[in-house]
Amino acid sequence: MTTQQKITDSPIDFAEQIIGDVKNSKDEGVLKCVQCGMCTATCPAARHSDYNPREIIERVLDGDVSIIEDDNIWNCFYCYTCHSVCPVGNSVCEVNQILKQFAVSKGINYDKLYEYMGFADSYFTAAIGAIPEIFFEDIDRDVPGWWDFRQHLDEIRDELELYPPLMPPQDVIDEVSTILTITGFKEKIERIRASQEEEK
Amino acid sequence: MKNVPDKDILLFRSCLVSVEYPGVEASTKFVFDKLGIDYAISEKQTCCTGLGHYSDVFNQIDTSAIGARNFKIAREIGRPNLVMMCATCYAINKKSVKLLNKKDDLRNYINQLFDENGLSHLKYEKDDLNPTENIFHVVDILYGKKDEIKNHIKYDLSEYKIATHHGCHYCKVHYEDTIGGVRDPNIIDELIEECGCKTIGWYDHKRATCGTGFRQRYSNPDLSFTATADKMNAIADEDVDILVHLCPNCHIQFDRYQHLISEREGRKFKAIHFNIAQFIALAMGGDLDKVIGQKAHTVPIDSIIKELKEVER
Repeated sequence: MTTQQKITDSPIDFAEQIIGDVKNSKDEGVLKCVQCGMCTATCPAARHSDYNPREIIERVLDGDVSIIEDDNIWNCFYCYTCHSVCPVGNSVCEVNQILKQFAVSKGINYDKLYEYMGFADSYFTAAIGAIPEIFFEDIDRDVPGWWDFRQHLDEIRDELELYPPLMPPQDVIDEVSTILTITGFKEKIERIRASQEEEK
Repeated sequence: MKNVPDKDILLFRSCLVSVEYPGVEASTKFVFDKLGIDYAISEKQTCCTGLGHYSDVFNQIDTSAIGARNFKIAREIGRPNLVMMCATCYAINKKSVKLLNKKDDLRNYINQLFDENGLSHLKYEKDDLNPTENIFHVVDILYGKKDEIKNHIKYDLSEYKIATHHGCHYCKVHYEDTIGGVRDPNIIDELIEECGCKTIGWYDHKRATCGTGFRQRYSNPDLSFTATADKMNAIADEDVDILVHLCPNCHIQFDRYQHLISEREGRKFKAIHFNIAQFIALAMGGDLDKVIGQKAHTVPIDSIIKELKEVER
């Protein structure tokens, strides 16, 4: 980021917003970044794409809020390698997740979440986090025998004598659905779904 | 080393273990029973939200509210030690406990939502759980009993070339609590040694991600599989027969996609894949169908393990 800053600008405001986010567990770690680049040097996404964790923090500290619209931030693996090697206790991985939540709260990049609505549905109807069905066709193509295995899952579980059953009782599912309604999750999911289905 | 409990344990069910590799659950129970670990599973406990959380669909409030409910269930049945089979569940729950203890605003907000909606029985009070003393992965519990493992070994698996992969969300997220090293992770290697086997130890990309990357595997498969290929090539360079890991996400990435990545790389990959609980259960004599759950595996176990040889006493 090379745009000229004035002395009256407050680029740190953006970092302060990240520090104040509920997800942040690193106190003022983001302000301590020395731009050493250990994060980028060890990052699998940086190795194989244009993702650059060191640059993310540079832009954050420059107050460059346009980063939340940058497609590159969606290449992070959430492997926390950067987080585990940072010499000053910052976590780009966590900052990345916070930036994405900023984007989502502004209605940006709903298309990136739309494919994952299946998680929300399985949580609401079964309190289980299942791989969304939208991906089943890809999995079946890429993984020999997977669909057949899934058809026999109950038999395999029976043979292993696993108890309790996969599906939680209805009162548990109801309680979980209530929680996800009062946190605003349900409304958010409906908003994402409506916006994407409108565009189609 | 931190204190590791062997009782009052809630064995936390994992969605991915349940539907992809249920033998990991059966194997964990088999090994825990052998080692005399006091644990129970609760039908009231629900998914940690991990897959949804790391695809950015669940925010921290959603996840920590679900966490608070699970923490209350664990305490109510007198099992405040949550033990996870999945590294994602481990990292998610540990973070929620940390945040709920430390951030008064978050805890008060969630408790207020519970109060206003007839869910007061789920409220989380500061320090109800301790992130270091109550939140564990199965490997921690096994490590706490590692000296006893050798007393139960039935089969000799030492003729195979074995490598380990330590899940990122066990090793790297809450690194202050990780047993056996973070930059050079060895907890699985040490557990395998207790089964009378040697691992290859360090190899190139040992601490690298499996490549799942949550959304990357589904929405960005080229990026995901390219990262996995780094690991698979390194494993093949060492001529590894068995790769042992601790997380069902990694397990899926390696076992389900080995065939595809082999085609992409134009190179034969032969390794079979076990969770550490499955490996120890097998060494302790667990049945391949009734305990290990081999039918759920894509790379056939018998492509490497043709016969089982009992240890000489």
